[in-house]
Amino acid sequence: MAHTRRDFLRAGVGGWALMSLRVTTPNVFANAVTAAGTRARDRDTILVVIQLSGGNDGLNTVVPYADDEYGRNRTTLRLPTDHLHKIDTALAFHPRMEAFVRLYHEGHLSVVQGVGYARPDQSHERAMRIWHTADPQRPERQTGWLGRVADHVRREVDGDTSAVFVGPIARPFALNAERAIVPCVRAVEDLTQRDSPREMSEVGGAGVNDALLEFVRRRMVTARAKSERIKAVTAWDDYPSFELAGDLRTIARIIRADVGIRVFFAELGGGGIGGFDNHANQLGNHGALLHQLAESLAAFVRDLERDNLLDRVLVMTFSEFGRTLKENGRRGTDHGAAAPMFLVGGNVRGGLVGPHPSLTDLENGSPKFHTDFRRVYATVLDKWLGCDSQAILGQQFETLDFFNA
Amino acid sequence: MIEDKDRKADPNWAWAVYEPDARRPWTGTLAAHLYRRAGFGANWQQLQQAVAEGPQATVSHLLAPGSDVEAFDRTYDGYEGGVGSVNGLRAWWLRRMIETPHPLQEKMTLFWHGHFATNGAALKQTRLMREHLQLLRRHALGSFAFLLQALARDPALLLWLGADANRKAAPNENFARPLMETFTLGPGHFSDDDVREAARAFAGWFVLRDRLRYLPREHDAGTKHILGQAGEFTGEDVIRIVLEQPATPRTLVRKLYRWFICETDEPGEDLTAPLAESLAADYSISAVVETILRSNLFFSSYAYRQRVKSPVEFAVGVIHALEGMVSTTQLGRDVAGLGQDLGHPPTVKGWPDGRYWIDSIMLTRRHNLAWALLQGGDPYGDKLDSWKVAQRHGYADAESAAQFLLELFLQDDLDPDVREMLRRNVREDAHTDSAAALDRLTYAAVTLPEYHLA
Amino acid sequence: MSIKTGFISGLVLLFFVLNLPASAQELPPAKCIPQDALICLHLSQPKALLELLAGAEMTEAITSLPLYQQQSSSPKFREFVNTIRFLETSLGTDWRTGLAQLTGGGITVAICPNDTVVAIVDAEDQSLLERLHEIFLSIARAEAAKQGHADRIASKEYDGVTAWTFDGNEAHAIIGKRLILANRAEALKTVLDLRAQKEGATLADSAAYEAAQRAAQAEAVATVFMNLEPFTNLPPVAEVLEKSRNNPLAALFFAGIAESFRSSHWLSVGLDIEGRTLTLDALTDGKVSGETSPAAFALPHKAGDGARPNLSVPRRIAALSLYRDLHDFYAAKDELFPERTSGLIFFENMMGIFFTGRDLTSEVLAETEPEVRLVVAEQQYDPEVGTPQVRLPAFAVILRLRDPEQFGRVAEEAWQKAVGLINFTRGQQALPGLIIDRPAHGQTKFTMAYFSTTDVEDKTKLETRFNVRPALAMPGDYLVLSSTDGLACDLIDALGQGGGAKQAPLAQTHSLLEVDGTQLASVLRANRESMVRQDMVKKGKTKAEAEAGIDLLITVVECIDGAKLDIGTRDGLMAVKLQAQLNLPHP
Repeated sequence: MAHTRRDFLRAGVGGWALMSLRVTTPNVFANAVTAAGTRARDRDTILVVIQLSGGNDGLNTVVPYADDEYGRNRTTLRLPTDHLHKIDTALAFHPRMEAFVRLYHEGHLSVVQGVGYARPDQSHERAMRIWHTADPQRPERQTGWLGRVADHVRREVDGDTSAVFVGPIARPFALNAERAIVPCVRAVEDLTQRDSPREMSEVGGAGVNDALLEFVRRRMVTARAKSERIKAVTAWDDYPSFELAGDLRTIARIIRADVGIRVFFAELGGGGIGGFDNHANQLGNHGALLHQLAESLAAFVRDLERDNLLDRVLVMTFSEFGRTLKENGRRGTDHGAAAPMFLVGGNVRGGLVGPHPSLTDLENGSPKFHTDFRRVYATVLDKWLGCDSQAILGQQFETLDFFNA
Repeated sequence: MIEDKDRKADPNWAWAVYEPDARRPWTGTLAAHLYRRAGFGANWQQLQQAVAEGPQATVSHLLAPGSDVEAFDRTYDGYEGGVGSVNGLRAWWLRRMIETPHPLQEKMTLFWHGHFATNGAALKQTRLMREHLQLLRRHALGSFAFLLQALARDPALLLWLGADANRKAAPNENFARPLMETFTLGPGHFSDDDVREAARAFAGWFVLRDRLRYLPREHDAGTKHILGQAGEFTGEDVIRIVLEQPATPRTLVRKLYRWFICETDEPGEDLTAPLAESLAADYSISAVVETILRSNLFFSSYAYRQRVKSPVEFAVGVIHALEGMVSTTQLGRDVAGLGQDLGHPPTVKGWPDGRYWIDSIMLTRRHNLAWALLQGGDPYGDKLDSWKVAQRHGYADAESAAQFLLELFLQDDLDPDVREMLRRNVREDAHTDSAAALDRLTYAAVTLPEYHLA
Repeated sequence: MSIKTGFISGLVLLFFVLNLPASAQELPPAKCIPQDALICLHLSQPKALLELLAGAEMTEAITSLPLYQQQSSSPKFREFVNTIRFLETSLGTDWRTGLAQLTGGGITVAICPNDTVVAIVDAEDQSLLERLHEIFLSIARAEAAKQGHADRIASKEYDGVTAWTFDGNEAHAIIGKRLILANRAEALKTVLDLRAQKEGATLADSAAYEAAQRAAQAEAVATVFMNLEPFTNLPPVAEVLEKSRNNPLAALFFAGIAESFRSSHWLSVGLDIEGRTLTLDALTDGKVSGETSPAAFALPHKAGDGARPNLSVPRRIAALSLYRDLHDFYAAKDELFPERTSGLIFFENMMGIFFTGRDLTSEVLAETEPEVRLVVAEQQYDPEVGTPQVRLPAFAVILRLRDPEQFGRVAEEAWQKAVGLINFTRGQQALPGLIIDRPAHGQTKFTMAYFSTTDVEDKTKLETRFNVRPALAMPGDYLVLSSTDGLACDLIDALGQGGGAKQAPLAQTHSLLEVDGTQLASVLRANRESMVRQDMVKKGKTKAEAEAGIDLLITVVECIDGAKLDIGTRDGLMAVKLQAQLNLPHP
């Protein structure tokens, strides 16, 4: 009778685990586990990037409610003032972003206003490519800025991948690297070994003086140890049931397992052209997405705070463009230019960075940028990841001031 | 294993034809090494035949396996005809690799796919990618000069590089630059001026509605200065000129050296010079490959297990050795998850190699793929059966089948303690379920560090 | 377990299952089944089933399968046939009669927690049952002795009953005409204890079982009872039920069903056989959505309301008729499908453009009656125009408008904008576009668009896009959106000939699906080669294996003349009725 899957599993767990106890050289294994657990630097920082696909309407996210131009141009999409969550006498968060107000008042949220670049592209694909490559002059460039970070880190330490994408869609181009392999992760099971004959990798080896074989063998021990660490961490359940919340929950679990991944990328809007592309019936759909963003992120922050991990984590949101000030007759808005970016974390200074762009001085019907998005990237690279921004971005950008000193 | 470390630097010894003798005998270990490099590993029949026929006859067979190759390729070209996506082509290609009567041809097609790394995601029509891969296959062991000329006119490559519009008024460098930097000369052997001038020579070539077109009015008939030569050059002249540069054969030979012999150590100029000269003479790919495969150096400890298997080599090797066939649609996805997405190389520089493949997450995924292939349930089903393969070759009891599998996958070249353990486990488990015990042995064997090396 | 003993135990089971008529004094089987049974299958009239499954027509159908012919020459198959012959000779009866006599009293199989399976078979002929047991006993003894495990065959007296095991695991006992069989000894003991009414509650005592029995049709040939609570909590099932929350189309079709299923305690299925018609009747006790539920859009609230019968067209493969209030459906989107995916927003953006900024929920969907019908039919190709290599069926959506005078123009404009946008986008990508035409079919003028094949040389292997010739027709109150003009014309005819509002609704049915096997088989056959190739890479099959698989599929599909799935409510319970009309060759 053919053996069944069940037999395979059963025998796999029993006999082979015993074998490991018989033959594992305890020191080798113990050292490897310790090595995987100790970071090169004790306080490695972590970046979590959240892409808002489709072009987020910055004006209905951080709302210039006191500006008459806002109300005049937004005949059906104007958000009622008394439902807004006010930041100050001029600006407020969207009514469904109540969770952001808490983060803001706790000093964990920084809003960089008017972010964009010169001669903004209005096509989803090209604009997104620009944010991904961080190179508006060379749209055909074949690596993404975070892929270059992964290559950079890989060259420096000849180690494991430092970046992953977590989510159900195809991996965004920002993570395309020349050499480093940046994996897609849908669930933590993508990072843990099924029932494994692990013992094999940990035994023998004495007297082998082949550098390549020794390299693979050592990596195997590390791989095993990291897999075990991830398995040992349990996920926190107190997340809302949105896709993004699930992805952030997975990210928090991997962060907690402490396996050396420093760049995470997640997405809201479902890829493709994206859910933020509200040309019609924007009000409800946009509100639903902002609600998902705020609630998911707030749960993530609470989760990280449980283990005092928030100080090590920075979350950054971006979208390929903002939207037009004037609505388009279909209760929606069209592709625009500058928009705000959010930065969330324990080391973020909190508050507004830069002024809200003018609503009378427009470009293609949309607010103009005053802060190049690569200044935000450069700040994150230099001041947070400790990764030379000039090497990644190809030129030096003036950094911004949104971290605690 | 041939231990001639001090002799490596001697090109006369290195490229001389390997003749087995008492000190350097021809064994299954070397036969399997040959099949790993010239193909995707050997199955039992191939291994036995190679051991019986000796190295040179085996190399001859690998270079020219006989007339059924054409029929096989025709059949598969037919299968691929109706495929509507690059991932569909990926599935058929993996199936080809598993079943092909000409593994060296597929291995070289893979080599060229990494060299002229074209990403099919940029293409609207699957037909273009299919024709691109068929082009690589057709010339895989032929003339590099022909191959390069054909690729300079290949819509898939041009579209992917963004070189689909070459106007006289705005020469497009998107083909000229990778041509010099990646496909032929290599960095340091050309200047930006050479690229600019070469781009002028390609003016007039367009890809319009997915077909190659030449628009004479867009051609720049003026004089160009390219790599020290001057003339009213066309694109074909540019190809001729880059092929005349000594840097081109040297760069290609270094890449072939890394592919076939060793990726842990860069060869000296002296060592590769004879091969570069041979390639420069007529650009015959098979001649260089033949010299490499027959050589002392190829069968020496400088080459043995001095490469890391790529994800494709790893996965195809397991399935081919077990004489089975699995869902290659699924396999394509899983191998992509290991970092090698056929039809979608990350950049025009192709895939990384060597140690880049070996990363904690990727090793974990190799484990999980081996597990998925062998455990008998979804998504691959019960398609591979170690016990049946052993029985088919006359190993009727679990104990001898275990030995057979260790020979098949590792030619018994593994740590003796580990080998003892594996065999003891089969002995202990076999009385309850031999088939499961042997699949577990296979699982353990293909996840050993040794198996990840080619 | 070796192949041989496995085979023999299987035969034992089969025989016992098939051979045990109930003796008058024995309890109803449900009174012997433990209360925690998850699934209980009861065949009250095995003979009716046997007549169908082992009847001349079915035998003819099976033996004509290429797969059967392949298998019948294998050594294993011959061994099987020889065994059957041997048994026939030993028992002095043919296998059909034997089987009928051995099982005629009914068969009950229960699956209990921890992979425990119990079967109770009631034979009509006690001596036949006993003789068969003797034969198996001697075969098993010989086999066990050969393997040196003679001790595996054992018997034991328990409570005045002889319990047997042939392999050390399986356990069975014969009590008069009744055979009780379990896959482990403890399970047999439990049944024997229940039978003796010593202890434990039986399935018959459970409230869910009682309720299910009351609700089910009494005359069924076979019934299945399923305890849903442990089942709906299984992660994969919960996941499927949850799926409808992420996908608007899944929500449109299944929201009501999933909601009801989640709150169900039991499921009861009855099987009826009448001639060549099989009817499965399923009921669950799940809550039927109230008017305030987000799933209320799928429920006919007025008595007599329901989905209309399906439309009939030539070459019809499948048809679906739904009672769905599209306005209420979309108005509840935040609850039904909260994720704002790229596809959903794209859809809304396009609707915004096509309907000139009208609100999708209150100004577009509100214009439709809760009457949604879909039809899928095989296409006929004009050889002058050309035939695609992959031949896709045509499909159409049929909606009924509340105010066709007003909204008809709006819909026409929207449709033409959509074609215009497709053409514009294709033009940008240097791809050929659609040509718009406005022909008439009878009295009805309609709009259609097509790709020209004038410049195509080989008209026998057209690209897949030539399967599409989109059409919009508005006969009467109806709006027909079809992938081909041919199907649009057939639907104009069908709606004109009384297929529209003149048909009375099917009271309390909210979903009605009909499939025509012969027509489906015809489409499958037309695409056989592409499916074979798909199977090769998707399942890792050889060409021959893939061909055999596809041919088998086609043959099986052909055996179903028509199948009909009707989902609705009955006396406040969710009711699902599946009817299949078999198409068996005449022997």
